[in-house]
Amino acid sequence: MSSVFLDKGSAPGQGRRDVLVSARGLEVHFPVRSGGPLRRTTGALRAVDGVDLDVYRGETLGLVGESGCGKSTLGNALLRLVPPTGGTVTFDGLDVTAMGRRQLRDLRRRAGMVFQDPFASLDPRRTVAQTVSEPLEVHRLHPGRQARAARVRELLELVGLDPAVASRYPHEFSGGQRQRVGIARALAGEPDFLVCDEAIASLDVSIQAQVLNLLRRLQRQLGLTLLFISHDLSAVRHVSDRIAVMYLGRVVEVGPATAVAAEPQMPYTRALLSAVPLPHPALERSRQRIVLRGDVPSPARVPSGCRFRTRCPDVFEPCPDVDPALQAVGSAPGHVAACHLHGVVGTPVRREDPAAPAGAGDPAR
Amino acid sequence: MTGAPLPEPAASPTATDAGVRSTQRAPRPRWRETLGLLARNPTAAIAAAVLVLLVLMAVFDETVAPDGPNEISVDDRLQAPSWAHPFGTDDLGRDILSRVVLGAGVSLRVGFLAVAFALVVGALVGLLAGFYGRWVDDVLMRFMDVLFAFPAVLLAIAVLAVRGPGAGNTALAIGIVYVPVFARVTRASVLGVREEVYVRASRSVGASDWRLLTRHVLPNAAPPIIVQTSISLAFAVLAEAALSFLGLGTQPPNPSWGLMLAEGRGFIDIAWWLAFFPGMAIFLTVLCFNLLGDGLRDVLDPRQRTLMAGGGR
Repeated sequence: MSSVFLDKGSAPGQGRRDVLVSARGLEVHFPVRSGGPLRRTTGALRAVDGVDLDVYRGETLGLVGESGCGKSTLGNALLRLVPPTGGTVTFDGLDVTAMGRRQLRDLRRRAGMVFQDPFASLDPRRTVAQTVSEPLEVHRLHPGRQARAARVRELLELVGLDPAVASRYPHEFSGGQRQRVGIARALAGEPDFLVCDEAIASLDVSIQAQVLNLLRRLQRQLGLTLLFISHDLSAVRHVSDRIAVMYLGRVVEVGPATAVAAEPQMPYTRALLSAVPLPHPALERSRQRIVLRGDVPSPARVPSGCRFRTRCPDVFEPCPDVDPALQAVGSAPGHVAACHLHGVVGTPVRREDPAAPAGAGDPAR
Repeated sequence: MTGAPLPEPAASPTATDAGVRSTQRAPRPRWRETLGLLARNPTAAIAAAVLVLLVLMAVFDETVAPDGPNEISVDDRLQAPSWAHPFGTDDLGRDILSRVVLGAGVSLRVGFLAVAFALVVGALVGLLAGFYGRWVDDVLMRFMDVLFAFPAVLLAIAVLAVRGPGAGNTALAIGIVYVPVFARVTRASVLGVREEVYVRASRSVGASDWRLLTRHVLPNAAPPIIVQTSISLAFAVLAEAALSFLGLGTQPPNPSWGLMLAEGRGFIDIAWWLAFFPGMAIFLTVLCFNLLGDGLRDVLDPRQRTLMAGGGR
């Protein structure tokens, strides 16, 4: 099965590759307000807290992490569906955070999103044809009723649906079919970039495989760049060229899928991988699980230094004092991790404010 | 650790998943389909038919009414219902049937105008407040609260005192009283719909706020507003009665159902028909509005639509 990873050409990260989407120091902080009539801001919930990430043109980047680690918020922030509170996002060289109305609308055409719950992401009062043709109407593509209808049929065929279902309503479909409708809508504007936000999480396992394979086929066919957000590591390994691991609002390890899967360099990634069941009974019996103790800290109270230190089995003395930066690790090119086990690199925590790790001014980025 | 434990599907990735059989529907226009489905709901269909009759009656009042509404006949005072006067006569000998027919025009017009005003203004306020939230919500809804805080009758009296009596001003006064009700119902409904994933999905493909509001938020927030509309039509007819009773609505001798009800109240012991027939007219109208509102709400929901279309064939 390793051919899945090898047939994608040379390892990413070698030399300079064409970056389509890039985040630098990206932050999405939600204000935490007190109750009562004054609604004073008493703190910040750091859903995304200083993320550096590049998505290369034509690749599939898998983004994994526990529930609540900020994966979805990051995906939404890259498309400015959630406004970032700090840092920058560039899309094909354009600053997404500074876009005006017209540019933003163009971004919406060039970057689509597939949502988690296909039962919630389709308007129950609109037919499949109306839903799929919405991007066409918004961006005035294929003008004219006939041309739009033809394009809708084409899109439905592309995602493996019978074009005759165009006049039906979402409730007449199964979950997998609805997700195909959602994908058809996302593809209508001929985007370059697709964010799949837990796109298979709420589907049956057999349907998950079909939708995954559909996404892979579409990517090859249309030359898409995919950001595949999931908490399902085995699904991510199945589709991704590279994997990024997120913990508590920060990307803690990025690398080629094979390298991250075979030799994880950060204790958190190791723990995540050890939780994946193996398909072979003998291997499964000998599998060593790394069980993490404790709960994920609240993103409103992020630990100082390395944010994983409260649950890390290998914690040692620089961890609370230095906020680790991503550094090259392992043998594969382009494999980076934020962990002091590979050498203490990062920003020392300022003592007067021990609860807050260094923010935007991190020189290591 | 390289195993990808996901079953590869057979040759076609769409084998089981895309097998929706297309039962081609006749390409009927949507409004025809809506009317057709409404006709299959017997209660709603009957209610609609009665309302159409009432409206026709109101339009052709002069030709339908057997006598002039204001023809006084002292000899025929307080006659019980008979073949000559099916609904009886009042204390001035006026034919009550004729007055009920004439009153339909006033009552329905005031009802429709008042609710139309309240619906348009209230729904717009609620839509903007619910969708944009923050200061828009605060400003608009505090203003609605102020309107709400006034006693309804006092507010209506104030409007009529400024603008003078008359059917149009009565409608406006009642409409203003009902604006906050519609604003609140709409806002509550919009607050729920606003958070739906399909609204975010629509935004993600570049839809403008206007498009989101008109194509996604309003249609999905509509059911409680439709119900509120049918209930308010009923209350508006009653409110017109109350204002007429206070001498601010319809001016005697012109008939309106509310005014007739109020006038007949004093004779309820000796001549029940004075209040009974206008009361029945109000009751029938209100009932029909409510039944029609319920039917419309069901028919406009695609999920119910499929059930009804499937069950009827």
